[in-house]
Amino acid sequence: MSKVLIVGGKVVDPVAGTQHAADVAIDGGKVAAIGKRLARPAAARVIDAEGCLVTPGLIDPHVHLREPGNERAETIASGTAAAVEGGFTSVCCMPNTSPALDNDSMIQFVLTRAEKSGACRVFPVGAVSKGRRGEELAEIGLMARAGAVGFSDDGDCVASAGLMARALAAVKATGAALMQHCQEPTMTRSAVMHAGEVSTRLELGGWPRAAEELIIERDARLNRSIGCRYHVQHISSGESVEIVRRARAQGQPITAEATPHHLLLTHETIETSGYDTHYKMNPPLREKSDIAAIKKGIADGTIGVLGTDHAPHTAESKEVPFDSATFGIIGLETALALYARALVHDGVIDWPRLVALMTIEPARLCGLDAMGLGMLEVGGPADVTVIDPKAEWTIKPANLVGHSKNTPFIGWKVKGRAVATIVAGKVRMIRR
Amino acid sequence: MGTLTRARRGSGKAGRGDDGAPWSHRHLLQLRGMSRAELRRILSKARRYEAQLSGARGLDAVNSELRGRVVANLFFEDSTRTRSSFSVAARRLGAEVIDLTSVGSSVSKGETVSDTALNIAAMGVDAMVIRHRSSGACHLVVRTLEGRRRDGGAEVAGDLSASRACSIVNAGDGRHEHPTQGLLDIYTLAHRFGRLEDFDLRGLTVAIIGDVASSRVARSDIAGMSALGARVVCVGPPGLVPEGLRSLGCDVSHDLDAVIGRVDALNVLRIQFERHEVKGSSGGENRPAASSSTAIASIREYSELYGINARRAARMRRNAIVMHPGPINRGVELTADVADSQRSMVLAQVSHGVAVRMAVLSLCVGATGRAGA
Repeated sequence: MSKVLIVGGKVVDPVAGTQHAADVAIDGGKVAAIGKRLARPAAARVIDAEGCLVTPGLIDPHVHLREPGNERAETIASGTAAAVEGGFTSVCCMPNTSPALDNDSMIQFVLTRAEKSGACRVFPVGAVSKGRRGEELAEIGLMARAGAVGFSDDGDCVASAGLMARALAAVKATGAALMQHCQEPTMTRSAVMHAGEVSTRLELGGWPRAAEELIIERDARLNRSIGCRYHVQHISSGESVEIVRRARAQGQPITAEATPHHLLLTHETIETSGYDTHYKMNPPLREKSDIAAIKKGIADGTIGVLGTDHAPHTAESKEVPFDSATFGIIGLETALALYARALVHDGVIDWPRLVALMTIEPARLCGLDAMGLGMLEVGGPADVTVIDPKAEWTIKPANLVGHSKNTPFIGWKVKGRAVATIVAGKVRMIRR
Repeated sequence: MGTLTRARRGSGKAGRGDDGAPWSHRHLLQLRGMSRAELRRILSKARRYEAQLSGARGLDAVNSELRGRVVANLFFEDSTRTRSSFSVAARRLGAEVIDLTSVGSSVSKGETVSDTALNIAAMGVDAMVIRHRSSGACHLVVRTLEGRRRDGGAEVAGDLSASRACSIVNAGDGRHEHPTQGLLDIYTLAHRFGRLEDFDLRGLTVAIIGDVASSRVARSDIAGMSALGARVVCVGPPGLVPEGLRSLGCDVSHDLDAVIGRVDALNVLRIQFERHEVKGSSGGENRPAASSSTAIASIREYSELYGINARRAARMRRNAIVMHPGPINRGVELTADVADSQRSMVLAQVSHGVAVRMAVLSLCVGATGRAGA
């Protein structure tokens, strides 16, 4: 295994919340040394990190890799290529593939494919229910043993309270977190956008905030006597943030995740763009007040994890009328710059905290910290991202390396970019 | 994308009509967002056509404004009135009409609305009149066409080059808008209440009764009538007339009997069961029967509380009128005696529709012609 030396950067320690000037030496897939003016070993590849942050490899707790079943939209190979392009060294993939990841052999399939074709580490999330149908529990215990790092029916909510109570107990026994897609289904049957004035004007089915809030409230109550680690995926409603805040104040093991689009876009974009389906997400884009509440939740720690909800879709599935189009946008290549814009440039949090929300915090959520991921320690795995916080660039289709290009952020001028991604000591992406 | 998409910049003076007000919109997608002046521009042009059509030489007065132009009707949803009305309007202007009533067959073969529209546009038609079950479908077609013209003009020479601009006229997109129906409703109001000079509807109150939530007609009526100064109140059960409609600039009431004596016109809507969510289903794909709709408890309750019958009509103002966009479900929202009474404007609406659609086609296609020159 080759040697790498990253020189001249500022090393961010997200566990301690500090940063200091230091070089990082990598050898044999491990961090060999962190310190000032490290000696340059023979045959080491040197990466100049002048003006850059040297951080633990970024971890995305919420991606869709579409394999198996929809390989034209994305594969494990193409999705992980997009990940390293954006600075991610680990991704947690959701089980809404076809067939769903709802048993141990499916988990093994993903791990094997990732081993063979992945550019970064892939950690599968197993389904809560068989076929993600919300009727009976999937083989949660076997999946955990096979390597599932969390459980979710993402794309669909675990709507039945009875099933949810059983699922919380089953997931608790594995030590993993139950990640809930919070959407009360009977309230959102033909919903394609936020229920509000814009949906009334455009006459598109409305998805009310309450459909998210009700599920969080209900699950927090169910979980009170169970105590499973519970995670709110892609939070969209300002009031949901308050519900999570209250539950955390009561000592409940509840965490929540934000996405870039719910911090930067509102439902009005659907009107101003003339029904552009690139603004169709689930949960939907909401209002300015929700953005403010989510930012506040990130600032005070209520929301402790940042994801992308990277949701690749073919162009064909987006070039149709709004009500028939698929939900979701890609995010791996653009998330870091968009988070910098929404959170750092706006003064909500600083760079070290942003790095923590994209490294150690998702590592803890998915139990990856036990493997030494999400942190930089001598002797630990050499997953490293070098970030140039001053790099200015424009998001263009050419920057998107995954199979799908479905993003409304094309043309945005942004600042901050991963310039090198190192996975297990291997340089998987470098721009300098 | 605006209400009416502006013709491409640099198109010069597009279709200047006798009013002197310039017209620069190539497409008609919705009434929301249109100015009073723009609405009046269309309506006063319609008034001249109406005078021609109803004049002694009505049928002889064949207009040749659009001679040599081709108008294609693309109806992805069923229609009787609207499609024939657009066809008659286009022919009265001297245009040729292609009636693609079977576009459903392309859809069943898996073709998308954008592809169908691109294909028809590539044949060099001047206007497409589109009806589709999805809100925003015409916006999508406009975006696809304009995008293709912008990016592909050079490399796909001869197919959609700038010389062949095609107007898109919305003939009903999902539950969103049906702008020409809104215009003919306004025209009918103005006609009856002597407002044809300036189409100033101030002082008039219109009640839209029934399935407002599912109605594209209601959305166009609310936008257009309020822009011209009328007061609009939507009346019906909460499942069909949600409070959120107030954000469109209208009032909302669930008490028809409190409203009926205080309005100048009723626009009575059909309950569109085919657009309702079915009990116990996960989507709106299946066409529900009345008994399985989740929006109302029963037809019996609906007719009793919101149906327009002779007893209720008797409580209306002396001059007040009853409009209905058709088709009527006699006995549900409107009883036969009222539908056929002196108050009923149903047939007047239909004949005004032709004049209004002539005005729309003339203005939009006129804008296209100059734009591409």
